[in-house]
Amino acid sequence: MSKVLLIDDSAVMRKIIQRNIKESGLIVNEFIEAGDGAQALEKVSANELDLILCDWNMPNMSGIEFVKTLRSLNLPQKVPVVMVTTEGSDSKKLEAKNSGANDYITKPFTAEQLRDTLGKYLMIN
Amino acid sequence: MELKEVMEDIARDIADATKTLFQSMIMMELKYNHVVLADETHLKTDVTSFVSFMGKYHGIVGIFCSKNFSLKVASSMLMEDLTKITTEVIDAIGEITNMIAGNVKTKITTDYGEMDLSVPITFIGGDTITQAEEDEPVASNSSILCVTKEPWLLTSFSSDKETFNVGLLLKESARQ
Repeated sequence: MSKVLLIDDSAVMRKIIQRNIKESGLIVNEFIEAGDGAQALEKVSANELDLILCDWNMPNMSGIEFVKTLRSLNLPQKVPVVMVTTEGSDSKKLEAKNSGANDYITKPFTAEQLRDTLGKYLMIN
Repeated sequence: MELKEVMEDIARDIADATKTLFQSMIMMELKYNHVVLADETHLKTDVTSFVSFMGKYHGIVGIFCSKNFSLKVASSMLMEDLTKITTEVIDAIGEITNMIAGNVKTKITTDYGEMDLSVPITFIGGDTITQAEEDEPVASNSSILCVTKEPWLLTSFSSDKETFNVGLLLKESARQ
């Protein structure tokens, strides 16, 4: 059972990411959605997750604040976090890495880019 | 560097970013038309979406298109036949603006410094529903007028007889 948490304030983007993951043959049994970092923290504590995909710019709690808070929780299992964001500068990528994100996908992305990066964390059919 | 040169520089980045987005995530052919400095103070459009940015330079990246084009773009992006302006269409247009602004920001950060982006704001004009005193909904043909004293740098594209404009308002921030 693989469970993926999608954090993005755009419901459309969450839908597009889900569709791309399904079409690329990556195996996900359940998608859980959150509209910002604060909502995502609640979902983290209520679910055993295999992967988290996280936007950067969101209201209430940004993606980077979420990652920093998540890593400070010292959870027994370190769930991989992939940033999926329009923020594509090297300084932002470095900040994400230093904050505890495992990988980085810049929007707009192609289905191939998504499959190649997420394939490191999810099984492929 | 003169502000006009900076804007022309950024216009090239807007053209690249917009074409990349339409090719990779919207799956629509978009033809680049031209770039103009729009001196008029009013931009009349059905659909307007803004993302503002703040840094060494500050301003707005905006997209302007017809309602029909916004439906086409959202339908293509979501792979669904959307015929009415819904929350999903508004969300899709906001995300498009966000991705264009984010991409442009990434390209210009090296030359013009780090910038912070706002979340997108989208306005839909035309057939706006207003509420009459008797609580009867009234359809009115209103459009959003975007008023500014600064000229917009408009990068114009077309697709299947429809026009899609990406605008940029840019000012150098005051030194602190």
